[in-house]
Order: sequence, then C-alpha cells, then structure tokens
Amino acid sequence: MISKEEANEYVFSAIRKYVNCDVTESTLLLGSDIGINSMQLVELCLELEDKSLVFGFEFDWTSDAAMSRSRSMFRTAGSLAAEFISQMETKK
Amino acid sequence: MIVVTGASKGLGRAICERLIEKNIDVFGLARNVEDVPFASMSCDVSSYESVKEVAQHLKKEGVKVSGLVNAAGIASMNLAVTTPQSVAQKIINTNLLGTIYCCQLIAPLMLRKKQGSIINFSTIAVALGLKGESIYAASKAGVEGFTRSFAREMADFNVRVNCIAPGPIDTSLLKGITPEQINKIVSQQIIPKQFKPDSVADLVELLIDSRSDSLSGQVLHVGGA
Repeated sequence: MISKEEANEYVFSAIRKYVNCDVTESTLLLGSDIGINSMQLVELCLELEDKSLVFGFEFDWTSDAAMSRSRSMFRTAGSLAAEFISQMETKK
Repeated sequence: MIVVTGASKGLGRAICERLIEKNIDVFGLARNVEDVPFASMSCDVSSYESVKEVAQHLKKEGVKVSGLVNAAGIASMNLAVTTPQSVAQKIINTNLLGTIYCCQLIAPLMLRKKQGSIINFSTIAVALGLKGESIYAASKAGVEGFTRSFAREMADFNVRVNCIAPGPIDTSLLKGITPEQINKIVSQQIIPKQFKPDSVADLVELLIDSRSDSLSGQVLHVGGA
C-alpha cells in the first residue's frame, strides 16, 4: 500500500493529463473553462480504478456512497484526491 | 461475452439460446438460475446492490463484456386506477430502474475497450398507447427515453445503445391475456401478425453485430408502429 502523499500525487498527475493548466487542490474538474469533459471524467475514473488495484484496493466510483458525495468528489482535483485516499484508507 | 438479463425464461431465454447457437458467449442473469443450462448468476435487476455484485463478479473474473441485453421485465395488464401501488412500484422498479441499474453498472465494463452494444426492451404499447397497459407503458416509455439519452452518453466510447419494442410475442409474459386481446393489439401493428421470440432474437443478433454499427439511440418496433 502506498502512502497518502503518493496517492495524492498520483491522482493529481492523472488529472494533469486532461487539463492544460497547473493542477492545485482547488482546480475545478467540471463546470469551468479549464474543466475536463464528461468523457474525460469517465476515462479518468477508469484510470484511477485500474491504478487503485495496483495500489491494493479498488476505487469505486459507482457506489451509492461515492455517488452521494459525487458533487464534492468531482468538483475539484482536491476533492477527487481526497475521495481516492479515503477509499484507500477504508479498504486497507 | 454478452450479458443477458431475464435469462431464465421468455424472450431472455430465447435470446440466450440463439446467441449460444451462434457460438456467442452468454452470461445469463435471472432471479432464479437453477434451471439455466449456461453460464449464469442470480440477480434481481431491481436491486442496485444485486446488479453491482454481478458487475463486480464479472470484473473480478476478467470477463470481457461486449454486450448487454436488458430483457428482464414484468407486465401487469390493468387499468391504472385498479392497479395496487405495490404492483405499480414493482413494474417501475424492474422495468425502468432495472434497466438503468444494469446500464449504469455493466456499461463501465465496455468503456475500456471502447466497443459494445446495449439493447434495452420497450413495448409497442408505448407507441400505440394501449388501454390497460398505462403503468407498464410508462415504465417502458422511460426505458425509451433513457435509451436515447444514454446512447449519446455512450457514443464517445463507441458503445451503441438501442431499444427493441416488440408487440405481443408468444412468451410467458402474455399469461392471462386472452387471444382476443392479443389479436386486438396485433391488428394495430403495421404488420398485423403475432411474431415469435425468434424474430426478436434476429434483431438482437443484428444489433450486437458490427453490421449495425451505424445504429444507436433507436427504438425498433417489432411488427411496426
């Protein structure tokens, strides 16, 4: 299992592939000019899911629990990284 | 592998048998799979968790899903005002939410490959506005609307989504409907004859094949409406 910091950096690097700007905690993922489109968001989720298996857990972006937090989960780079880390910690 | 819901009987079973006959791998889902003689798993499509279990199983086993046929469905021929709330709820849960859950949870298995075909089921009762089928028709009208929008959402991933809307096909779903009632419905179709499950299986076979790669978001009426 990787550290929280490594997981955080991984999520940010994955997001960077889809946006043409610096990615910070507050970078908006949806609903802004620099945001990623819905197709890219799904691709990002699939990528995070694949990588989570390598990290020893499964990132579940379709669960009821994850969906109920989806507004915040997909709002910013920071919120997505936080959800990824939260699931990693929970499923340890 | 094509995942087929409602695989234990009726149209779903006929579709599975046809695909198997054509050497296409099938994974059947039904509430009771005791008598299902091919790869299958118990699943209640009206339960999100139950469908989720199936999706997780397929993912864990590394099954390459290339298609989904949402054939599970229930019907109740009654006037809306004489239909109990519990029955109305069950029809919506199985026909509409069941289709949505399966699409939500099984489609992601096709997104990675950027290839796939999803076939939902409506009914000719939607197009014809048949008396005594208002709740059933409402659930299936929802499926048609969902199909058209979901097709657009999936288009970027090269996953096609279509809907087959049969007239009264000779299956157990018609149990309790008199021949007179069936004839009355059939007479309203463009081609006024009762089709067999084979005709529906023909369409499924076409829609999962790459020969139909120009079709998505369509509702195909068996018998015409």
